[in-house]
Amino acid sequence: MNGLTGEFARGVVRENPLLRLMIGLCSALAVSVKLESSLFMSLAVIFVLTMSNIVISALRRVTPENIRIPIFIVVVSSFTTIVDLVLRAYFPAIYSRLGVWIPLIVVNCIILGRAEAYAYKNNIIRSAMDGLGMGLGYTLVLLIMGFVRELIGTGAITLLGATLIHMGSRFEAPILAISFPGAFLAFGLLMGLLNKLEQRQRRAK
Amino acid sequence: MDLNRYFLIFLAAFLIQNILLIRFIALCSFFGISTSVETSVGMSLAVIFVMMVSSTLTWALWNFVLEPLGIGEFLYIPSFILVIAAFVQLEELFIKKTAPALYKAMGIYLPLITTNCAVLAAATEVAKPGFIKLSVAYHYTLPEAWVYTFGVALGYSAALLVFATLRERIDIAPVPPAMKGYPIAFITASLMSLALTGFAGLFGV
Repeated sequence: MNGLTGEFARGVVRENPLLRLMIGLCSALAVSVKLESSLFMSLAVIFVLTMSNIVISALRRVTPENIRIPIFIVVVSSFTTIVDLVLRAYFPAIYSRLGVWIPLIVVNCIILGRAEAYAYKNNIIRSAMDGLGMGLGYTLVLLIMGFVRELIGTGAITLLGATLIHMGSRFEAPILAISFPGAFLAFGLLMGLLNKLEQRQRRAK
Repeated sequence: MDLNRYFLIFLAAFLIQNILLIRFIALCSFFGISTSVETSVGMSLAVIFVMMVSSTLTWALWNFVLEPLGIGEFLYIPSFILVIAAFVQLEELFIKKTAPALYKAMGIYLPLITTNCAVLAAATEVAKPGFIKLSVAYHYTLPEAWVYTFGVALGYSAALLVFATLRERIDIAPVPPAMKGYPIAFITASLMSLALTGFAGLFGV
């Protein structure tokens, strides 16, 4: 049981896909404009990642090595299509905001990377835990980015139509935070902060 | 022949909606490849070539098969990515046989291109316009699709080359230790992106 929690926790911090492995960046930077879009994108990625990890792991004994990549892609794109159609049917407003990023989950390096590096070599339960952990690591970074950028860039946080935090009318929101350059800036600073914390921790030891 | 329209499509794809710095597509390769100018040139050439062909293929697939049969909405993600993956594989074999020198120059980048989101994004945009929210076109004819794809690929190459040059310089610059490497690269990208936002709204694009 201890091993399983290890699989799970690894993706969250030590091998965080965004901050540590530097994969899956495109969608993370683009959708983290708002907390709400970050949340839905994360849910979509967790679903596709975990399900495709499970299926690829289940098929690993019958998958010929030479054509494994096309097979992975077919599995991943099936789950992506499910998310695409479900979001479009039930959450059209969010679908239109996430737009291009839903179909692009197919080529999200996190999913293909985990399929190749993990699910193809491990059993179903471990692969599912790996998918959940990696997905959660992605979610965590996305929520931090989404929260900070929306709060600074618009002066308020809204989730599903309800305003959660409002900075007051005297706060003049710098539009930089929600614009494109702001995403790079916020991510660079977040990585720098993490490095700084890690250095301090190492020195304390 | 409406030259104006071609010019507008090209400019929008190349500069105003630059795929890397404004649309955030294909960032993984942007940060992964741009460590030296030489690798950036190889990747750029490979991307221009693969994009032109795969966009032509998906354009034809959408307009002659998927759309007339009415199955496009369900099958566009799996079919497009399979076409791209199959083409990249074929092309690799073909170049290896016919042009060994060229293969040596861009060989290792070819397999990576399958998961380069820029290729899938451009290939989907020419088939299903409005995907990347490029407002100049609602339906692309084949020459327009070529102009668009060429603009996207050139925009990718230009941003990659400029960024690679900058990064070679940053490597020797005095930077706080916590910000060394990727964090400062993100902040550089932020400034580049800020410069490009200046073109937003040009010609109403």
